[in-house]
Amino acid sequence: MRTPLKTQYFQILLALSDRALHGYAIQRAVLDQTDDGLKLWPATLYRSLTRLEEGGLIEQVAPPEDEPDDERRQYYALTGEGRERLNAEAELMTRWVQAAREARS
Amino acid sequence: MPAPGLRRYRSLLRLLPPAFRRAHGQALERMYLDMRAEWEEERGEPGAAFWFALTADTGRVAAVEWLALLGRTARSAAAAAGEERMSEIIGDVRYAARQLVRQPLYSTVVVLLMALAIAGNAAVFRVFNGLFLKPLPFEAPEQLVDLDETAPAWDLEFLSIMYRDFVSWRAENSTFESMGLYDEGGGNFVGDGSARRVTILLATHDLDDVLGLTPGLGRFFDPAEDVPDGPRATLLSEGFWQQEFGGDPNVLGRTISIDGFPIEVVGVLPPEARYFGEYDMWLPLRGNPDDSGSWSYNGVGRLRPDVTPEQALADLTSIHKALIDERPVNEISSPVVTPLRDRFLGEYRLGGGFLLGAVGIVLLIACANIAGLMSVRAMARGQEMGIRRAMGAPRGRIVRQLLTESFVLAGIGAALGAGLGYWGSQFLVQPLADQFPAFVTFDLDLRFFLFTVAITVGAAVAFGLSPALRAARTSEAGALSNRSTTGRRRRRAVGMLVAGEVALALVLLVVGGLSSLDVRQLGRADPGFDTEGVVSYRLNLPGQRYENGEARLAFAERYLEALEALPDVEAAAVGSSVPLSGHWGWFFMAEGAPPRAEDEANPVVLHRVVSTGYFDALGVQLQAGRIFDDFDGRDEDAPVVIVNETFVRTHLSHLDDPVGAIIHPGTGTPGDDAVGWTVVGVTRDVKHYGVDEEMRPGVYQPLAQNPLGGFHVALRARGDIAPLMARVRDVTAGLDVELPVHEVTPLETRLRDSLFARRAISWLITIFSTVALLMAVAGIYGVISYSVGQRRQEISIRMAMGAEGGKVVREVIVQGMKLVVAGAALGVVLSLAGARVVSGILVGVSATEPWIYLAVTALLLGVAFVANYVPARRAAGLHPMGALRGE
Repeated sequence: MRTPLKTQYFQILLALSDRALHGYAIQRAVLDQTDDGLKLWPATLYRSLTRLEEGGLIEQVAPPEDEPDDERRQYYALTGEGRERLNAEAELMTRWVQAAREARS
Repeated sequence: MPAPGLRRYRSLLRLLPPAFRRAHGQALERMYLDMRAEWEEERGEPGAAFWFALTADTGRVAAVEWLALLGRTARSAAAAAGEERMSEIIGDVRYAARQLVRQPLYSTVVVLLMALAIAGNAAVFRVFNGLFLKPLPFEAPEQLVDLDETAPAWDLEFLSIMYRDFVSWRAENSTFESMGLYDEGGGNFVGDGSARRVTILLATHDLDDVLGLTPGLGRFFDPAEDVPDGPRATLLSEGFWQQEFGGDPNVLGRTISIDGFPIEVVGVLPPEARYFGEYDMWLPLRGNPDDSGSWSYNGVGRLRPDVTPEQALADLTSIHKALIDERPVNEISSPVVTPLRDRFLGEYRLGGGFLLGAVGIVLLIACANIAGLMSVRAMARGQEMGIRRAMGAPRGRIVRQLLTESFVLAGIGAALGAGLGYWGSQFLVQPLADQFPAFVTFDLDLRFFLFTVAITVGAAVAFGLSPALRAARTSEAGALSNRSTTGRRRRRAVGMLVAGEVALALVLLVVGGLSSLDVRQLGRADPGFDTEGVVSYRLNLPGQRYENGEARLAFAERYLEALEALPDVEAAAVGSSVPLSGHWGWFFMAEGAPPRAEDEANPVVLHRVVSTGYFDALGVQLQAGRIFDDFDGRDEDAPVVIVNETFVRTHLSHLDDPVGAIIHPGTGTPGDDAVGWTVVGVTRDVKHYGVDEEMRPGVYQPLAQNPLGGFHVALRARGDIAPLMARVRDVTAGLDVELPVHEVTPLETRLRDSLFARRAISWLITIFSTVALLMAVAGIYGVISYSVGQRRQEISIRMAMGAEGGKVVREVIVQGMKLVVAGAALGVVLSLAGARVVSGILVGVSATEPWIYLAVTALLLGVAFVANYVPARRAAGLHPMGALRGE
């Protein structure tokens, strides 16, 4: 899983940057982040989560204390590596955006 | 109860690889619920768009994941074999494709042979799979069993269940999770002014638990509704709900009228309910536990996990037999527990097995033919192989190369064949669907796919491996030089293939011939009644308006009079049943008959109540005495009855003249004051259950003696049925506008349908045996042509030396026919050895019927002779110089 990340991977990492979330909450967060531009349907979402987990960027965690309990929900959080990767990716994008701006001006 | 749509989503999730489902299935379901709730809140009930997106999502991921899984497996296999091998394989495929394109005729023939054989196999497997392999479309179907009662002492394998027995079984068993009873029924539904017959399933209140159904809308029946005088409630089928109420969810609580009774709609059935039969609605059975009247219900039960049907049977039997003191008849009856599928499809298993065997043989013959072609071709390619060998290609490489060609050809043929087979089986599946319970479905599944792949790979190995091995061996022996000795050995191998093909084809021809003859005889058998021009339909008088016997009898008389006044109607009658329309069993004792021995069965008697004209309308012939007249049955003190020939044999054999005998209904000894029924006539046997079924004793009782509320009407008429039935409906509505005419069926159709499965099996075996014959003949032709070609030089020289053409022809034919005769002899031996199994699908024909053996052997030898003669003739026409130049 080398740079640059696929859009949905990046969006998922971004959604998890604050706190651990379950599948449906990730879908909602990604919708918010993208102005409803990217809707991750369940199977697609969980396939992405599996890939990210295999890449060591996220991990399954216990449900947070304050969430209503439903044992069927699976919560995911960023790993240290995932956080680094998210930062590196954001860094890269910033550079691209800068380059694009310079090219336009 | 699962949330709405969850079941559907679950079935979607089944597309995903198991590992993925294990890891995330629960989370996916949970997420589905969240999304559904959100959708409902924002846009209302999720419709097609929602489900389309979900299906696309799941489908795409399933495809990607399965491919990834396959890729991983292939990669690990490749890793084990070494990456280098992988690229070699790709190279082989390319090379094979080039070779095959270069020889279009050969490739086409092989592909077509494969396609034909695979098509037959795919078609038959689709049916076999639907009938015997695919899990039934209910929750945990392996736990479902059919329940029934049996009474060997009455010569009845299946008796149906008495309600009070069911109540005891349900209350006291320890092996079932749940059990339910059901019965088919019908009612007159008056919608917008016109009456219509609706089909009804009467179900105990727990049938939903047994089948694992949840209502699409509303609720299932309450126990309180499932008692004789409980509140009337119904669940509508999805179809009926759409049709009559436009799918309006406010239908709950509405009242509909069936047979004049107001009935509250409490729910709508889920679509899956149709797998239990297409009924317009379900009503509670409302059985009476105190009723000891009759055995009339079907039962279905859900076993506890890990309970076998045998354990369940032992459990029910001990409950049943413990009640003998209270219910003496339980001495005779006992419970039956059968896995659901076996009960309904068991009798087709043998026929299905035969079909699978037949197409298997066709595939074998096709493989033998292709192997023959390949051998011949391998000889022609001996040089090519020799050169490759000489240039250092290892032997394994050559074998693999040739095998790859087989796989490529088999693959193309299989793809074509699977498509063709699926399309062709449509013609079989559609009429078959009417013959089987609704839970039998024939749509494609993974099994079909795996089966096709498996037989394709098997076939490719079967026809490709041995020529490939031999080709490699030959090249080693030095294909660049001498070729005559290996050629002879190879000819012998090909000759054995041909003999084997002939043997297998003969076996199939014998089975096909026997079953065709059998079906033909059944089709011609005299059923004991007329079918031509006779049409039957049903009519049910609602009990509310036709309260007593007089009212019902009066209606029947007026009705028959009106029908007979129609210009095209020659005769009209009503009866409790017409041939091929069900069974109503009673028991009888004849006065003065010697008591039956302890172990002698008291056979159940088919009881029919008929109007005077019944015998005339159906063409049932009188053998002795008289038929009913208009006065019979009206005098309560002088009941009369007509019996059939079989009844005379089973009940009245102690009398010289059965006419005048007195019989009593029931199994016990009649009281002194009981009035017996006087036999006034004897009729010929009517094959009431079908010409391929056993005959039972039967009695006819005059309608006046037992005025029915629901009956079959039989009309003997001239001309077309459609215009006639239009007039019949007018006449019916003229007497009672709320009486729907239903189940209109010409007796010819009934008779034909009753033989459909037998006919289909026989046709198919005949088709397959013809294909097998043609393939075997093509094989013979090919081999003889080839061998003539090989001996061209020799023949030419002999001809040049003055040998007669006729002698050469004879020689070639004798050589070929030796193979054919050996094969045919082997085929006859095999057929005779299997005769006992074959007799299982025959009714009237012996499995060793010599005429069939003679006829098919003669046919086969004749056709084989022609296949030999043509190349032999050509050999004789060889011009000496041409042949010499050819070498």
